[in-house]
Amino acid sequence: MSTMNTSAVSGIDGHGDSLWLKAARKFKRDRVGMWALFGVFIYAVIALGVVFGFWGGAWADVTGPKWAPVSAEYWFGTNIIGQDIFARALYSTRTAFEVGLLVAIGATALGAVFGAVAGFFSGTWIDEIIIWVMGVLDSVPFILLVAAIAYSLGGSPWAMHIAMIATFWIGTARLVRGEVIKLKTLEYVEAAHAIGLGKVKIIFRHILPNTFHILLVQATISFVAAIKSEVILSFLGLGVKDGMSWGLMISESTFEVLAGFFNNFIAASVLMFGLVMAFNMFSDALQDALDPRSVK
Amino acid sequence: MEILQYSLRKLIAGIPLVLGVTLISFLLIVYFGPDKTYDLLGKNPTAEEIAEVRSQLGYDRPFVPRYLEYLHEVITFDFGNSESTDEKVSTILSRTIPVSIALALPGFILGNVLGVMFALLAAYFRGRWIDKFIMGFAAIGMSISFLIAIIGFQILLSSSDGLDLFPVRGWDTSTPLQYLRYVTVPTLATVFIALGYNTRFYRAVIVEEMTRDHVRTAKAFGTPPARLFYRNILKNSMIPIVTRIVFSIPFIVISGSLLLESYFGIPGIGKVTYDAIITGDQPVLKAVVALTAILFVVAQLLTDICYRAVDPRVSLK
Repeated sequence: MSTMNTSAVSGIDGHGDSLWLKAARKFKRDRVGMWALFGVFIYAVIALGVVFGFWGGAWADVTGPKWAPVSAEYWFGTNIIGQDIFARALYSTRTAFEVGLLVAIGATALGAVFGAVAGFFSGTWIDEIIIWVMGVLDSVPFILLVAAIAYSLGGSPWAMHIAMIATFWIGTARLVRGEVIKLKTLEYVEAAHAIGLGKVKIIFRHILPNTFHILLVQATISFVAAIKSEVILSFLGLGVKDGMSWGLMISESTFEVLAGFFNNFIAASVLMFGLVMAFNMFSDALQDALDPRSVK
Repeated sequence: MEILQYSLRKLIAGIPLVLGVTLISFLLIVYFGPDKTYDLLGKNPTAEEIAEVRSQLGYDRPFVPRYLEYLHEVITFDFGNSESTDEKVSTILSRTIPVSIALALPGFILGNVLGVMFALLAAYFRGRWIDKFIMGFAAIGMSISFLIAIIGFQILLSSSDGLDLFPVRGWDTSTPLQYLRYVTVPTLATVFIALGYNTRFYRAVIVEEMTRDHVRTAKAFGTPPARLFYRNILKNSMIPIVTRIVFSIPFIVISGSLLLESYFGIPGIGKVTYDAIITGDQPVLKAVVALTAILFVVAQLLTDICYRAVDPRVSLK
């Protein structure tokens, strides 16, 4: 009887379902979003394959002649010193995921914590300080910050990741702060205060989980931004230090392009475009699905 | 008078921001930055020579006086001479900033004007094929890396494999025609990428404004579409649009063109900054960071004054 009741209630128009159930249902109906998710999944499989050593391991080996054309042996040809472009492109997919995931997780976590704390204590000095830090970091030119962090870490390969996390959390923190300011006046938070819960517990157990829809979307945005920044930083010599990435491939290709050899450039550009496009579409669909204002 | 007072108050309120930015940049670039001692010494230096150079560079002094000295440099805008070219930093800046503005301005204007126009079109035909076409195009612009767009346009327009219409790289503003020849390819790449982000942002703003009650009322009263769009929608969407435009100015003047300038070999401030990063030229880096922070405070002030011009309800108190 009780099962019938719930299914009857939730079956009509999704009334009474959680935000997540509704969002999942809406997302599944979004054809573009589903295709985009499928695309991201394929890239993730490629990246995992590299991690487990199925392919892409020979990216640094000089195996062929210089600038070999596309063939059965070299699917995308070879580069200026005879390395297999296909292997390099696959390995770079792994690098892209490594950079994207690390930065997305780091930036979103930082943004969540600082945004929630600032929002909860809005109007006090804690909030003022966090806003000041955000404003300061926002006003430092990004590439200079990367370079400066690289200096002070003595050229560490993680300087790029740290610099991205140090700047990308701000957007998330601003959104979370705004949402928390709204949430903290709701009755359930008042109730939590009334039964004597500590502030830390209220912020992190009761308020922050309710901003998770923002965090999820922001994480996808940070992921894309990280991959795009990596390409430019690597080209400028401030990005990936040891390893291979799409940015390094493009940087390498600028000489080849002038000589009329495009394989390296096209392989890196198309693969990168595919992943960024798929992730952007996925992010959009996710945003639509999680937007409580559009009830459909 | 009211505006003057307001501006002054705002500028004073911007001091903590400038202090913060200079503190961070000082910490990262100078205090924890590269040790320059051995760059200035010959082979087999003695301990006295090392100590002398270190005291020349100020490494033996405590943190606070060194930071205060930097602040003094910021206030007087005298950062000394560049370590790599020995030219006065302020001279370098005044020589290169106009180049960067000449390079960035056409792309900046076109990217924003076309962005608003496409956004209006897409919003007006919301859900129809024009909207889908424009937004699809914007999604592509958003997903292509700026670097790839630059190289792509270069191959298409200035290489012998493409149309070969424009010079491959370099910069020349001796005649307007030369300027056009050199500025076209960078501008196209900039506009292509900027349109992706701008169109999406502006469309969202305009659509939000279009669904408001006062627009529906005006429509019901029979306001002609052109007037409706201009007076009821565009004017009201100006606040977020102006904010976005003004806040992108500091980065355009300082570092926005860093990639463009270093790729095309254009002698603007971006190229100078990039060279300073590579060689660790601290006086130049310190000047660039401080200038960006100051421009940011000014941009904030400008947006607030623009709000006042667009929206009479905003008071400058």
